[in-house]
Amino acid sequence: MTLASRGRAVTVVALLLLVGVYVRALMFTPLERFQGAAQKIFYLHVPAAWSAMLAMGLVGLASVLYLILRDARFDRFAAASAEVGTAFCVVMLTTGPLWARPVWGTWWTWDARLTLTLFLFFLYIGYLLLRQAVTDPGVRARYSAVLGICGTVLLPFIHLSVYLFRTLHPQPIVLKPSAPSLPGVMLVTLLYSFGVFTLLYVGFVMQRYAVGEEGAHV
Amino acid sequence: MSEVIPQNAGYMVAAYIVTAIVVLAYALSLYRRTRGR
Repeated sequence: MTLASRGRAVTVVALLLLVGVYVRALMFTPLERFQGAAQKIFYLHVPAAWSAMLAMGLVGLASVLYLILRDARFDRFAAASAEVGTAFCVVMLTTGPLWARPVWGTWWTWDARLTLTLFLFFLYIGYLLLRQAVTDPGVRARYSAVLGICGTVLLPFIHLSVYLFRTLHPQPIVLKPSAPSLPGVMLVTLLYSFGVFTLLYVGFVMQRYAVGEEGAHV
Repeated sequence: MSEVIPQNAGYMVAAYIVTAIVVLAYALSLYRRTRGR
């Protein structure tokens, strides 16, 4: 069984579990009384944000390892993770405004969390464009690694921006020093969705890595 | 005074549809690129 076919199998399982997230979130998780149905966007938005950040974190880690070990597999992994992270970033940046419009009364506001998240998206796009623009594999890997590390440096600022700046964005409800502040049934749905989005990330990266591996042998 | 839950399900439906489209489109793109491997 090749890496690509294993990645496809993981993706199919993750997609089936994602159907479960939809069913659980829409039919078996109660409405939040102040935000109404729009609050349920949270079960997709937050895990998508988690996957986008996980992806960039692993791009940075693989980039550091590439610069130290000069092993092309780390560069291929970083490229795969960046592309997958871009897809999750698109989900995060579309579901966020769809939640903000009914709850805040505006699609977008230039506060620290939202602006830094948009910057992360631009970094992803810049990373992918850089890889397309540089033809020499060694130079491409080195330049991409530097940009990947820069992207990773952004992550703590995004996470802490709600503490460091005055912002409309809600504070973390799960990834925080104290216990999660959600009713149990909502927390279970959220954690289930976290797991599914992480599995989707794994399946996507396995497939995308296989595409890069093939390109490296041409 | 009774509380009124906001009626904003349209935004939720839009978000769930957009997510499904992005995820399925990317999954399909990867499937096409890895087909036969």
